Amino acid sequence: MAEPLFSLRGVVKRFQGQEALNIERLDFAVGQTTAVEGPNGAGKTTLLQILALLLAPDQGRLFYAGQEVTHAGVHLTTLRREITLVAQQAYLFDASVLRNVAYGLRLRGVGRAERGQRAEAALTQVGLASFGPRRARRLSGGEMQRVALARALVLRPRSLLLDEPFANLDAESSAVFERVIAGLPAQGCTVILVSHAREQAHRLAQRVVALERGRLVT
Amino acid sequence: MDFFVGGVARGLHLLVGFDPEVYAIAWLSLRVSLAAVALAALAAVPLGLLIGQNEFPGKRLLVVVFNTLLALPTVVVGLVVYGLLSHRGPLGGLELLYTPSAMVLAQAVLAFPLITALVLAAVTTLDSRVAPTALTLGATRFQAAWAVLSEARFAVLAALAAGFGRVITEVGAAIMVGGNIRHYTRTFTTAIALETSKGDFAQGMALGIFLLVLALAVNLAIHHLQMRWR
Repeated sequence: MAEPLFSLRGVVKRFQGQEALNIERLDFAVGQTTAVEGPNGAGKTTLLQILALLLAPDQGRLFYAGQEVTHAGVHLTTLRREITLVAQQAYLFDASVLRNVAYGLRLRGVGRAERGQRAEAALTQVGLASFGPRRARRLSGGEMQRVALARALVLRPRSLLLDEPFANLDAESSAVFERVIAGLPAQGCTVILVSHAREQAHRLAQRVVALERGRLVT
Repeated sequence: MDFFVGGVARGLHLLVGFDPEVYAIAWLSLRVSLAAVALAALAAVPLGLLIGQNEFPGKRLLVVVFNTLLALPTVVVGLVVYGLLSHRGPLGGLELLYTPSAMVLAQAVLAFPLITALVLAAVTTLDSRVAPTALTLGATRFQAAWAVLSEARFAVLAALAAGFGRVITEVGAAIMVGGNIRHYTRTFTTAIALETSKGDFAQGMALGIFLLVLALAVNLAIHHLQMRWR
């Protein structure tokens, strides 16, 4: 296995005393697409949120590119700027599509002209080339998810985390997601996707990991 | 009935006649109330955001406290601020009593719980995905908090408008710490109280109409902002 981007060692997460995740050892290789499978409540979303550095494990150690993430000492924002999560029902800001897509670039201090160009390119990539001026909240569910994908892609993340990317998508949006995800490993992007769409997930992933009741199933 | 008709007629006359004293009162009322809302908002908006966005022991109690403070009588605020600013009070050395600054302070104290409670309510009812979305896109904690405020901007502006409404119309605190000094600390409400006690009902009425016009202008400006940001 190539050098892992994420490594989990003895990671445990509990919610109100209830164990949601307990992973002894798990690595995600750089540039590889991994599908995480499992029934509802298996801990898939919790795993993604830990990898996105939104949740801190209660126990265990998480390494990102060889560096331990402690949630105390390491500057999380710097690390988070390399990892992007697209949620199952992504939240779009109450603004135009273009403003949504350019949001992360603005946070990174990218100039207005470059922001516009890169956002337009990302929108084109997800088949929404002319959607920039539209109100994001007035789009269909599938279009909104594609905007969220463009908003993540525009940042050229080292790792893209996708929570149920194919859920509730129309055929066109689903095809766009599949095409885009398939092209990411070639750009060195590490993709981790949680999906119930077994067929699509297996087609895209070089590796499949199964979770059940928060634990890895081998 | 003549009272009312006469009052309305005089109110309109004052409004269009550019009476210098009345316009000075209007300007002071506006200045004091806007400064008070700005001062209160500086503390209330971040506090409302902080309480609304975080879970901690005692949060419910704190929310109840702020909701209770909405009923804070203006004279009680006036009394406390008077006590603080009077010669024997801890801030007496600043010599602020009977100045517009004292009125700003008292009105800010009055607006603070109202703005905090309304911002807190706005932030609590906002979609819980806003901050995590901002964080996954690379926001710092501060930038994520700003995103939350930005998404709740209509409600936050409404909270500021409510705060302004509360302070521009109050009389108790303004009269206690301002003293209703002519050409210095006389605002619409303190002038109305004075005119009514003198028996000049029509003049009081006229000032009341002018006050309403002023409040309407400020609320129209806020509404315009809300529409622009839509």
